Amino acid sequence: MSIFALDFPAVTHLFEWPDIAFTDTYLALNKTSLIYLVAMLLTVVTFGLAARKRSLVPSGVQHVAEGGINFVEQNIVMQTIGAEGRKFMPFLTSLFFFIFFINIFEVIPFIQFPGNSRMAVPLLLALVVWVVYNYIGIRSQGLGGYLKNSLFPPGVPWALYLIVAPIELFSTFLIRPLSLAIRLWANMMAGHLLLVTFAVLSAALWGFGYVPGLLPFFMLVLLTAFEIFVSALQAFIFTILTAVYIGGSLHPEH
Amino acid sequence: MRARNQHGGRARRPSRLRRRAFAGALVLLAALWFGTSPVAAAGETPGACIVEKVDALEFGGQRGAEALHILEETAATHVDVGAEEKLASFEKKLEGCLEAPNPILPEVTEIIWGGIAFVVLLGLMQWKLFPAVKRGMDRRAEKIRGDLDAAETARTEALEVKAGYEAELADARAEAGRIVDAARADAERVRADLVARAEEEAAELRQRSDQDVEAAKRQALSDLHSEVSAIVIGAAESVIGQNLDHDTQMQLIESYIDDVGSRN
Repeated sequence: MSIFALDFPAVTHLFEWPDIAFTDTYLALNKTSLIYLVAMLLTVVTFGLAARKRSLVPSGVQHVAEGGINFVEQNIVMQTIGAEGRKFMPFLTSLFFFIFFINIFEVIPFIQFPGNSRMAVPLLLALVVWVVYNYIGIRSQGLGGYLKNSLFPPGVPWALYLIVAPIELFSTFLIRPLSLAIRLWANMMAGHLLLVTFAVLSAALWGFGYVPGLLPFFMLVLLTAFEIFVSALQAFIFTILTAVYIGGSLHPEH
Repeated sequence: MRARNQHGGRARRPSRLRRRAFAGALVLLAALWFGTSPVAAAGETPGACIVEKVDALEFGGQRGAEALHILEETAATHVDVGAEEKLASFEKKLEGCLEAPNPILPEVTEIIWGGIAFVVLLGLMQWKLFPAVKRGMDRRAEKIRGDLDAAETARTEALEVKAGYEAELADARAEAGRIVDAARADAERVRADLVARAEEEAAELRQRSDQDVEAAKRQALSDLHSEVSAIVIGAAESVIGQNLDHDTQMQLIESYIDDVGSRN
């Protein structure tokens, strides 16, 4: 696409990648799928090494894994579910690290693509979360109790249930998974577009001298730092919302 | 590493898991860097898509651009309805080439790989990895708690011992004070005795020396008296040329001594 003599790559070149193995099958592997696998492997290796390394003062990967567990426990589980939520720690920690590692490829040189700017994993994880919190709600309150507490939240005046019940029906069972998925996907896609835009702009304006070239380049550097923050933030938001939904299923009175 | 082994040091060989993980990561990174470089980014261009569709078109026994030309001419005559419909359908296909793909629709293959990755990760985390790391953390927390408790106990004991030592020290100080006071009192008493005895001895000495002086004085006076008597008698006898009787001698001596005594 050419705008004002700037050649901006087509959106297909930014988000869609060719198959590199098992082409034309359901297991066709492309860059996005590889990022998912590497993110999984990074999480497994991080925790695997941390489990084998048992020094009293943690360092390196042990520090990353234990810091992550502490972070998820203290800042997510204890704040939203309470001590009862500790049994969901493996699930929530997996979510956090998996999403974070997929996101952080946005700023890894030569890869520079956030896997979550494709809808596959955000949607998949949102559906998993949807199944998990509904299952927990039904198991802890019974189907009738869960539906009653979800659609008719306690403490609301009877007259308002006419409005609240349909809203809750949409919000709990339809909007939640979509909002989870779209929030993560849209944030990462927008971040990727921003970085590409300023990278293209820097390259294009470099020919006009240092000053016009440096300005978008500085912006690119700042946005790269910002995207590191966004990668962690989006992983945190996805995980904490999951914990909030699980907490709501366990304790409808809150 | 070998050198360390020869010196008896413990060799730190990378574990099999670590080596496999490292090799796997390298392979995947290489695939990411070289297999999917940006220049290989997919996405057929609209032009390529149109050319492909035109090449695949068949009409009137022809293929490609020739077939399209015949199809357009046939449809323009409005005689062959089938040709018109085929042209409309073909144009719709071409428009499809210009439409950008909907980015919100996920790729099935990516969902499958993402699902495999997450299921494997969740399974490993739930089964082995998370409990192992958490166990290590709990064990450390337990150890630190135990160490803190032990340190607290040791501190309490140390404080008790310190309090005991301080009490003993205070007792010892009081005892020392008492001993010093007693010693001081004894010393004072001894000093007073010594002083009293010394004063007594001094007084005795003084008295004895006074007596001695008095005796010496008396002795001297007596001696003097005798000598003066002899001298006076001798002188008087030589003056008068005869011996003096006893009474005269005594009178003479007395008067001389009185005279000398009144002059002193």
